[in-house]
Amino acid sequence: MESYSWRLRVCCAEPGQANVFTRQHQFRVGAPVSFDEADKAISALEYVLGAIGADLVNGLQALARKRRLTIEQIEAVVEGELNNALTYLGVVGETGHPGLEKVRIRVSLASPEAEAAIQHLWQEMLVISPLVRTFQAAIQLECSLQVVA
Amino acid sequence: MDRPILVGAVLYDPKVSVIWDIIRDFFEEHRCPIDAVFYTNYELMVRALVHGHIDIAWNSPLAWLDAERQLGGACRAIAMRDTDRDRVSHIITKTSGGVATLADLRGKTLAVGAKDSPQATLIPLRWLQRHGLEPGRDFQVRRFDVLIGKHGDHVGGELQAWQCLAQGGADASALLDLNWERWIRDGTIDPHAYRILTTTAPFDHCCFTVRADFPHDREHQFVQVLFAMRYDDPKHREMMDMEGLKAWVPGRTTGYALLREADPIRGMLEGSTDNHSATTTSDAQRR
Repeated sequence: MESYSWRLRVCCAEPGQANVFTRQHQFRVGAPVSFDEADKAISALEYVLGAIGADLVNGLQALARKRRLTIEQIEAVVEGELNNALTYLGVVGETGHPGLEKVRIRVSLASPEAEAAIQHLWQEMLVISPLVRTFQAAIQLECSLQVVA
Repeated sequence: MDRPILVGAVLYDPKVSVIWDIIRDFFEEHRCPIDAVFYTNYELMVRALVHGHIDIAWNSPLAWLDAERQLGGACRAIAMRDTDRDRVSHIITKTSGGVATLADLRGKTLAVGAKDSPQATLIPLRWLQRHGLEPGRDFQVRRFDVLIGKHGDHVGGELQAWQCLAQGGADASALLDLNWERWIRDGTIDPHAYRILTTTAPFDHCCFTVRADFPHDREHQFVQVLFAMRYDDPKHREMMDMEGLKAWVPGRTTGYALLREADPIRGMLEGSTDNHSATTTSDAQRR
């Protein structure tokens, strides 16, 4: 198979912010990582964490439609930790690195289907999720599912 | 334009970098560019100041004493927060407990913060010494060494000391007045369940420190901009609230006398790092 690739264009929008263009869409990204609660822009790290959560939330719904299963509500809570955030700030004497160390994703969904069917769907999703498969190989990735009838 | 003034600071929480970003922007606007250099502990920062790698150090009181010692006194405290002046520490006990006077502390256990915390360990222990109570001889010290090297900036050890008192592991605990007030305000401490057994004499906390050879004109430029911050200006207030001050004031060193007196205690605690002495117990080491 010929490899399939995606091409995005990233331009400086204003100091500290970039515009990302992909197909007919665009979005704005702030600093690589931000420690400021009042920061006006979404950081690159937050986009990555949001993307992993969205991968599972949207992926599960698409897969459920394919399997003719009903999901009534679904949401994910994603938490990410860097190996050592202080190294990003260049703190003299700190060790480690600023890369992601651990990501925890808790997906909750409500469905009238048998729990076994949803659990099977979840396992299938974890296998086909591009981002789960990527991060699983690189960091501590904890994915859990809670099913509410 | 002059090269930026290099200002050192110890960073224990990434969020603190936000304050420094605001300070940096403020100085930039006032045509006195600074660059913040972050250190993981005060020892590294003091060394950088002594060797001239930075121009100004945002020193803890203990770091001021270390810098002064290493530089043979050739340094100046140029500015501090209004809230750095005349702080006190309290030693508190349970209202329902059996410790109502300092004399009652004999034979009992006092929980303190990290071994290098001026406010939660060194000054309270020296204060008790002044009142005839010798740590280890007259009462036991239970120490909570959280993030050694940061001189108690991280209040974790101080909080654990109070929790130890709350859970019955100690008969008293030591804490800074600001934390006593804050933890009552946020509901951590029930003020009816605890009483202040004694309050130390006032002491001063952090200060901006320069070496004696730092040019006076640059120092003047730096403090002029610093003192231009106004709490009634909303643009400045956010940072000042984050740093816990209403105004910057000139530095002074008279407020470090009590901590200087605590030097032998510091030496004793330093010596207990690798083996638990009878006088101290490092809970962090035990874990």
